[in-house]
Amino acid sequence: MAEVKKYEEPRIGVFVCHCGTNIAGSIDVKAVMEYARTLPNVAIADDYQYMCSTPGQNKIAEAINEQKLTGVVVAACSPRLHEPTFRNATKAGGLNPFRFEMANIREQNSWVHMHQPEEATAKAKDAVRIAVAKASLLEDLIPKSVPVEKAAMVVGGGVGGMQAALDLASAGIKTYLVEKTPSIGGRMSQLDKTFPTLDCSQCILTPKMVDVYRHEGIELLTYTEVEAVEGYIGNFDVTLRKKARGVITPAEAEARGIVGGGCTGCGDCATVCPVIKPNPFELGMAPRKAIYIYHPQVSPLIYTVDFDSCVKCGLCVEACDTKQAVDLEAKDEFMTVKVGTVILALGYDIFPIEKKFEWGYKNYDNVITSLEFERLICASGPTGGHLIRPSDGATPKKVAFVLCAGSRDNTGVGKPYCSRFCCMYSLKHAHQIIEKIPGVVPYIFYMDIRSFGKMYEEFYYRIQDEGAKFIRGRVANITQDPVTKNLHVNAEDTLLGRPIDMEVDMVVLAAAIEPTAETEKTRRLFGVSCSQDGWLLEAHPKLNPCGTTTAGVYLAGVCQGPKDIPDTVAQAEGAASAASIPIHRGEVELEPYFAVCMEDKCAGCGLCVNQCPYQALSLVEKEGRTVMQVTEAKCKGCGTCGGFCPGGAIWMQHFATPQIIAQIDAFLLGGEQ
Amino acid sequence: MAVKKDYKDQKLAEKLRDRKYYIPDSNPEFIKDVEKIGQTAAHMCYQCGTCTGSCPSAPRSSYRIRLFMRKAILGLEEEILTDPDLWLCTTCYSCTDRCPRDLAPTDAIMAMRNLAFKRDIVPRNFLQTVQLIYKTGHGVPNNDANRAARKRLGLEAEPETTHKYPEYLPGIRRILDHYRLKENADRILAEGE
Repeated sequence: MAEVKKYEEPRIGVFVCHCGTNIAGSIDVKAVMEYARTLPNVAIADDYQYMCSTPGQNKIAEAINEQKLTGVVVAACSPRLHEPTFRNATKAGGLNPFRFEMANIREQNSWVHMHQPEEATAKAKDAVRIAVAKASLLEDLIPKSVPVEKAAMVVGGGVGGMQAALDLASAGIKTYLVEKTPSIGGRMSQLDKTFPTLDCSQCILTPKMVDVYRHEGIELLTYTEVEAVEGYIGNFDVTLRKKARGVITPAEAEARGIVGGGCTGCGDCATVCPVIKPNPFELGMAPRKAIYIYHPQVSPLIYTVDFDSCVKCGLCVEACDTKQAVDLEAKDEFMTVKVGTVILALGYDIFPIEKKFEWGYKNYDNVITSLEFERLICASGPTGGHLIRPSDGATPKKVAFVLCAGSRDNTGVGKPYCSRFCCMYSLKHAHQIIEKIPGVVPYIFYMDIRSFGKMYEEFYYRIQDEGAKFIRGRVANITQDPVTKNLHVNAEDTLLGRPIDMEVDMVVLAAAIEPTAETEKTRRLFGVSCSQDGWLLEAHPKLNPCGTTTAGVYLAGVCQGPKDIPDTVAQAEGAASAASIPIHRGEVELEPYFAVCMEDKCAGCGLCVNQCPYQALSLVEKEGRTVMQVTEAKCKGCGTCGGFCPGGAIWMQHFATPQIIAQIDAFLLGGEQ
Repeated sequence: MAVKKDYKDQKLAEKLRDRKYYIPDSNPEFIKDVEKIGQTAAHMCYQCGTCTGSCPSAPRSSYRIRLFMRKAILGLEEEILTDPDLWLCTTCYSCTDRCPRDLAPTDAIMAMRNLAFKRDIVPRNFLQTVQLIYKTGHGVPNNDANRAARKRLGLEAEPETTHKYPEYLPGIRRILDHYRLKENADRILAEGE
């Protein structure tokens, strides 16, 4: 295969697609087809309204049989769209599917040169000529199959990650659920109620947390981060860092020979711990000790030592007594697991809204974020569910809600996108204060109310009826009365066409959301792309929203873009389904685009080995010589080694040097030899 | 509260008046009164503008029914009741037919007119109409030109109303007296002389 080929006399079939008027509207399709007939090696040229339709595909298969074709060229849309379609048609005609080449005359031609028909037609002729040159040199390729490990990993233990793990494990797949914090639950466990049903967030989440904890098929790895990733679809080797927790579970205690030992979550250790730190789960509004749990419903119910603040006084060790669960000498541990597919459910953080200084967050006491509001209104929160003004502990009677705080912002300070759930939770917040505080008036400053989900518009109607006041206008700035600490919210009522100066007791900023701090590092480990705003990039925004461009890696929840709980759970179930397909099939076919070493030319210099971004190359001894060897399953066919090899000893399948030279010649020489 | 500055020149003071909306300048009870009188949930208005888009007065005047709804929700009582535009509604009910929130903006406007009347704020032509109804049973009584036209069409000179049956006029007057409409109209018009 890797030897210099002797090609049979090429016979190429060219098919030019009209794509309705998408192509034929600006390109003279007939002229392109007639031109193709004049090209060397072309045995037949034809055109059709829609080549991707069944009759269009039949034309290809028939021509292969009748004309004894060796290669097929279709001039149509992007290969990203229909290359698989036409490969199947080529295969149906009895040719190897890789003897097909596509010329893109739509996305890269007719759509961009809509008003230059002559130039567009000339460019289409060039594209066809180049494709024919390559098709004349194409060869049979056989895709390789690799076995798939019957295990999966979910990174992130929020509601999306939990749902994905439950689905995978319930489908009989061993699933590792990796969570960086000491408990699963994620953002949803910080929320008081959910819209539009007003379910208690914890009440609907904790049963799921328990299900995850108890599921036989799930190995729950909390306080654990992904350290390194090697391998490819079907065979990812993921190295995990189990951060030093300082507390052992009953199972770990048993393994150490401590009978009846391990953490039971009794909390005696925290009672005696002398170190007090802000609890990040309560956004710093409540204290925790150096040995802590975030809240009573954590899963697993195991305490964690914060070694950054622990003074190692040993009081907790004494308090724990015979359970011997506290181990202040614990160190980070590493483990490597093999999985077939991976789902990233990395979640989100709140945008640091103090960067928009005009709203005075962190400067004025009574300006809070909506996540802080969630904790303050929550019965298990730091104030027992009483919304109070941070400045004086009084109950606010006029509360302004600032929507689009940092979202839909093109200044470079905020975020250009819509954070998608702020409208709805702000409506819910308005409802919550009306319910809890008699005589309170919520003022909602909005640009648009985006209540697009099922029963969401009805929820908006309900909240308006309950007495929330809506003011259409983005808040320009907020000033503070230095004596009363009341806030003056300045905006325009754009419906009234007049500025407003509204004095309120409290302001809640519906701050934008952004990818978590760890998202960038984690996505790089798994080779997943991100869009400009940092959200992870799906394989196709409409038709493959759960997949990524890295085979075997899928996305769930907000890490792919802002979404609310129903959308997150739906995507998690979609990602779990997608991630289970290769595992249930048991093997995956790899595109045969890998590099091949032409051993008689290889000098064994090894320079290519370090160039490879995928660690796919190595040097081996063969028949007394050192030569390079490709691990085909790891090779992505990027061509780095092929372009680099000083001896020209690397053959890039489907993108071989003679094929590319032929394409360049065809373009530069205009068909002359 | 609106910021006041002591300009000696009254025109300048009006020109530079603080037009910002402040909560203390508004009456939160106003919308409740409008809803009670108008029997429509005016606070549910979401300001889509279908009403103004349907309004036959809007293209020919500065009357904006959406804006009246907005001001009512904000409690801008003083501004609404003293606005002459309040009286430009023809009560065609197109807005009420089309309101997507199923409100009756026309009835909200009628309610606000009622509240204005309570404070003697009514355009003179409306009061004169009251006097005409009291006198003839018609806001626009029959006249000679009309009678001639009716005859040409083969109709009786007087229509089937109080013009033809003046014995029913006392009934109409009793209704107007009950609400003290005539009395108030006479008084306000006299005061305006």
